[in-house]
Amino acid sequence: MQINWQLRELNLKIVYYGPALSGKTTNLEQIHARVDPAHRSDLVSLKTREDRTLYFDFLQLELGKINNLTPKIHLYTVPGQSYYEASRRLVLRGADGVVFVADSAPECANANMVAWQDMESHLASFDMPIERLPIVLQCNKQDLYGAIPPLHIQEILHLFAVPAIPAVAMQGEGVFDTLKAITRGVIACVQRQAAIA
Amino acid sequence: MVNPDMNAPIDLPSGITLYPSHDKAIDRVLNDLMQKSPAQFILLAEASGQILSALGERTTADLVALSSLVAGDLAASQEIARLTDQYQNYQLILREGPQTNTFITEAGQHLVLFVRVSKEVPLGWARLLIHEASRQLADIVTTLPEEVEKLDLGLSEEKLSSLVDGGLDSIWKG
Repeated sequence: MQINWQLRELNLKIVYYGPALSGKTTNLEQIHARVDPAHRSDLVSLKTREDRTLYFDFLQLELGKINNLTPKIHLYTVPGQSYYEASRRLVLRGADGVVFVADSAPECANANMVAWQDMESHLASFDMPIERLPIVLQCNKQDLYGAIPPLHIQEILHLFAVPAIPAVAMQGEGVFDTLKAITRGVIACVQRQAAIA
Repeated sequence: MVNPDMNAPIDLPSGITLYPSHDKAIDRVLNDLMQKSPAQFILLAEASGQILSALGERTTADLVALSSLVAGDLAASQEIARLTDQYQNYQLILREGPQTNTFITEAGQHLVLFVRVSKEVPLGWARLLIHEASRQLADIVTTLPEEVEKLDLGLSEEKLSSLVDGGLDSIWKG
């Protein structure tokens, strides 16, 4: 988080994390398509020739003035493929909140678990306990035949205290709910930190 | 109000806080660098890619997007340096172009500086000035102003969360 007192801006960084092909980039593409262009930046995507995320996707949302404050929300995705671990760590640095995009396909249960553990170890390396970070679990691809229900994904990942949102990101379902939920969590966290300071 | 003392600026553990006096000092350093080098364009961003300041000849590039890429470029370069045991403070990346050279350098832990100069500017001269400016910028943001300005950003507002929710609703076209 970064505060600019001169411009009265509150800049927040939210990272979409999850296993390969779970729909992280799709979330940002949907947000980009559905937000008023006057209130968002271009969508920056660093992709491989195969259209897979190489480094990160980036999108900034600018909300109007709220009280004395202009919140700007910076959305990033990480590359999901396993060999981009070092890049994921870099993107995660300085995150104020995380959306964990789980793939609800039954065969992806283990990939979700591995990605979650990978994220936990990166956060630990920044001395950022996972319980201090606002997190929202998005259970994507709920339209698949045999999709694992959100409650079951929460059980598998032991995430009982984390809000779980069912989604079909390709169709935009659950995308906005997820964005609102993580933003709410991050704002609450900022207020708690501010109260302590 | 959550906390009656919320009118005082706050120094949050997870990031940096910029006060108006910081902004003035940063402007001085950047203007000085602009004139001495001379630079065509300078962009200062927070290490996570949030743009703080830009001056000089702007191209058509989206500065917000540019800022995120500059920060990503530096972060990748820092990590490469760490992996190859070549890390040092104030890492600098030089990109030579047909008409201009661009430098990306870390300015302490929190900031990243992007500077574009004409090919006619000697590389050594530009590098020297950019290093000096980076050190000054790093010092500025890590020094708390002696007299902290009294501003209220409304962070204590109980309804802030629902106000932000409403802000998101208003920009969402569905």
